[in-house]
Amino acid sequence: MKRIESSYVQAAPVRRPLRIFATDPMVGTSAPRRMTLEINNEPSLAHGPAGERIEVVDYDGTHKRFYQPVNLNDPAILMQNGLEPTESDPRFHQQMVYAVAMKTLENFDTALGRRLTLTKRGRKLRLMPHAFHGANAFFSPDLHAILFGYFRADRANPGQNLPGQTIFTCLSHDIIVHEMTHAIVHRLRRYFLEPSNKDVIAFHEGFADIVALFQHFSYRELLRDEIQKVQGDIRRDSMLVRMAQQFGEATGRGRALRSALGKEKVRLDDSILEPHRRGSVLVAAVFDAFFAIYQRRISDLIRIATGGTGNLPQGDLHPDLVNRVSDEAARTAQTLLTMCIRAFDYLPPVDITFGDYLRALITADYELFPSDDLGRRAAVIAAFRNRGIYPGNVSSLAEESLLWPENEGDEEKPGHIPDLPLLQEAEGRGPAPLMQELFFSAREVSREMPTRKSNRPAREEWTVEPSVDEKDQQIYRILNKWAGEHRDALRLDKDLPIEPAGFHPVYRVAPDGRLLIEFVVQFVQTNAAHKEKLGGLPFRGGTTIVASADGRVRYVIAKPITTEDETPAAEEMEEAEPVRTARAARQRLVQEGKRRLRDQAAYVAAVDAVDPLLPYGGDDYVSRRMELRMNFAALHGDGE
Amino acid sequence: MKQVTIRMYNVGFGDCFLVTVPTSKGARRILFDCGSMAKAEKPISEIVDQVVGDLGTKPRIDVVVCSHRHRDHITGFASESWNDVDVGEVWMPWTEDPDDPEATRIREAQTGLAATLTRDADARLAAGVGLGAQERAELAAFRELAANSQVLEDAMEMLHGGFKKKAAIERRFLPEADAHGKPIRSFTSDLLPGVVIHVLGPSKSEEVIRDIEPPKGKSYQQLAASMDDPDVDDAGPEPFSSDWTPTEDPFEVSMAERDKIAAYGHGFRSWMAAALDDAVNGTSLVLLLEVGGKYFLFPGDAQWGTWDAMLRDPAWVKLLKRVNFYKIGHHGSHNATPIEFVESTLDKGLNVVAMASTRKFGSWHVPLPKLLDEMTARNVRIARSDKPKELKKPAFKLDGDVIETRIDVG
Repeated sequence: MKRIESSYVQAAPVRRPLRIFATDPMVGTSAPRRMTLEINNEPSLAHGPAGERIEVVDYDGTHKRFYQPVNLNDPAILMQNGLEPTESDPRFHQQMVYAVAMKTLENFDTALGRRLTLTKRGRKLRLMPHAFHGANAFFSPDLHAILFGYFRADRANPGQNLPGQTIFTCLSHDIIVHEMTHAIVHRLRRYFLEPSNKDVIAFHEGFADIVALFQHFSYRELLRDEIQKVQGDIRRDSMLVRMAQQFGEATGRGRALRSALGKEKVRLDDSILEPHRRGSVLVAAVFDAFFAIYQRRISDLIRIATGGTGNLPQGDLHPDLVNRVSDEAARTAQTLLTMCIRAFDYLPPVDITFGDYLRALITADYELFPSDDLGRRAAVIAAFRNRGIYPGNVSSLAEESLLWPENEGDEEKPGHIPDLPLLQEAEGRGPAPLMQELFFSAREVSREMPTRKSNRPAREEWTVEPSVDEKDQQIYRILNKWAGEHRDALRLDKDLPIEPAGFHPVYRVAPDGRLLIEFVVQFVQTNAAHKEKLGGLPFRGGTTIVASADGRVRYVIAKPITTEDETPAAEEMEEAEPVRTARAARQRLVQEGKRRLRDQAAYVAAVDAVDPLLPYGGDDYVSRRMELRMNFAALHGDGE
Repeated sequence: MKQVTIRMYNVGFGDCFLVTVPTSKGARRILFDCGSMAKAEKPISEIVDQVVGDLGTKPRIDVVVCSHRHRDHITGFASESWNDVDVGEVWMPWTEDPDDPEATRIREAQTGLAATLTRDADARLAAGVGLGAQERAELAAFRELAANSQVLEDAMEMLHGGFKKKAAIERRFLPEADAHGKPIRSFTSDLLPGVVIHVLGPSKSEEVIRDIEPPKGKSYQQLAASMDDPDVDDAGPEPFSSDWTPTEDPFEVSMAERDKIAAYGHGFRSWMAAALDDAVNGTSLVLLLEVGGKYFLFPGDAQWGTWDAMLRDPAWVKLLKRVNFYKIGHHGSHNATPIEFVESTLDKGLNVVAMASTRKFGSWHVPLPKLLDEMTARNVRIARSDKPKELKKPAFKLDGDVIETRIDVG
């Protein structure tokens, strides 16, 4: 092969730089900050831009027309790191939406250690930068698209904009990331759209804000400018809080967030039901943790800069100091962002609470960094405690208590989950190790698989490329059989059918260079009998298990669905120890199942009491009201 | 035996209650609201004449109470017939006070949003795009809901400056503030000797005010503003000229999807109309009349926020446990009578009497049968203005088309 044919010469570049507006062009009269993002290059990026996982479709529903799609592979555009940021060229808007969305996706890919697929029924995730006339932007699970609206600034009260100026929600970095996060979370945990408790919708909103906020803070050039301008004490949080408070200012969103961040006293309270207010407490907690870690990290810089006196000089800060401090802040933001996303694999498949998320954060981080050298976990635990976020069922807030329960190691003991069947023989073929199948292609099990007695409405189907269907079917069957044989240990109900809601390998690199491979499997069970008292939602439970590369199940994260204890009553005689323990464990499980059902019904009643739409909604609304209440379009349209 | 008489006029979807109280200085009369959104049989003007007629040759009402400004509680006041009626005082919630800047701000926000929503709903109904028959009916109903919060000039003029003695009549905005600025919770009036009036709502607390403010919808306000913009055509502002549109569709977007996307762009949202309705209901004046040891609760259309504040106040709860008569809030809807009030506060032993002025409207779940059943299960005897044939005697009596109840006092 000639040298000119070698990959050295022929290979496409790994990264593609694209320019974006880093700050909202709608906020502030000074020129908006521009910056250049680098994302992974998709060499065959088509007009749109249309990539492998997302495509930008510039259709305007109000005016019923398309706008010219951009070709980012046009040499003229490539030469300048993408089109010049401008509000008046729709092709730049397409470029920006693509760039920021891909950056968000990459953050998830990296943190989760695998390449996510966003395909639904063969369709990629679409982003529509000018979808409709309206001051709103939201992810539509129904259309499998993110729709961005546009509107005119109020002539009478333009705020910081020109009167009558057209404002594009697609030009707000934070909004793009927020909506993209909703789409990705929906992909990872589709049952998180069912509000089974007061934290579910709040979590969706809070988590989307967390990703947007910290992705924004991970751009060092932005921080450098802000920190240089501060003139005040960079050790105080007011500067970072101020940046955070610009979040969503133009569209009026983020009001709850601003008030939560600004005041230390805002704590989680059972009486707060409104999703943005509740979610903003979660964001504030993570922000507090971020700030605590940041302070620790710049403490040595301050000592050096002030010669130990701690007195920063008046006026401008030395540019070197600014550089180093902004580096620390950006790095801390990225660290925290990765930590927050990584926790996802340790979440139960349904019925998430903030407490669950805290436990997932701690467990995920512990797996990667067993000793908390940098004090990250301690900072997170303290921050959550100060904001009143506590998990139920834990004996203390010490790190050990917060870790998810580990699988019982002793095979003899009840509750032990045996190893995942990774080396199982596949049907009709020779031995086809699951691990081998999955190691080289990270993909999710198709949800279209027939179940034995499925009472799950086939609303959504995640599909994979047809060529791998057969392998996935086999994986599914093996997993389902295995789960069915170990229902008790997996905390699953013994009668309801089991639905595998996800199975994927995770690849991570530990700080000592080890390659960690884990498998995460989710099982979900559904009991549709309680729909009426749950406002139209079925009662769901399930278990997430995390196993190491050799199949040994490490963690079991369960939401029990069993509400009836059918174990026969204790014998008169003394029972053997294992039997007694098993009975006690089962009773605890049933208690938990009952509690969840009770709490879910109570939540429905609480939301009903304050729902202004309930009297007027009509029969369809009443029978499906919980499902309808989880409506991104409405959640994002009220200016909260 | 002295008796308090309460007459519920058959206005349909609305309220009009005439209360006669025996006092040491003779019978005194209180009128709670007079309006309708959808009639039963008679139009509101006829009901007004009926009420005035019932007042005798020298028509006089000692206190006219306007619980809140929803049209279904005030349309009647637009009638000229009221100019013949001698009125002692007019009581309204503090949000109606024209001299209170906060009240004015809230009122203007509410009526502004109502006007925009109504106009948007009308536009959407006229355009008719993508509306099935049922959707059209629902949209029309929500349009009525939004319009219900619009200002009704004639009625407000009567309430604020009309009746026989016009501006000479005192208007009071409750709860009033004492010398220290604290709300006066209970008071007496020379117009109603022997009666103690407890003002349970609306409170001025931050939480209740937040509920009273219409959905901030800054986004919505901006949208409304851009619809008012003269440069903008009916479809909305053009983000880019058609110069940017390629001749062929670069992507496939199905017709069904296009319709869905277009629908998102409409300003009108049913939840907004409902939230606004809730906000205005939140301004309802909640009065508990104490006459001769008996308690009469008239909550207007107060919703969750106000009730929550009431039920957290031990002094109020103590009084609420003694309620003998309850005018069922908001025509019998779900969140105007909290379950806590029915289950824990209403005293079964007192055989409470309740009245609901209501009728079925479209697909609305008002009145909520489940709520009425739960009250009945606790010995509450209920009269519905739309079901005169189902009256329980002797608690209630039918006088023509007016349902009347009498309660012994003193």
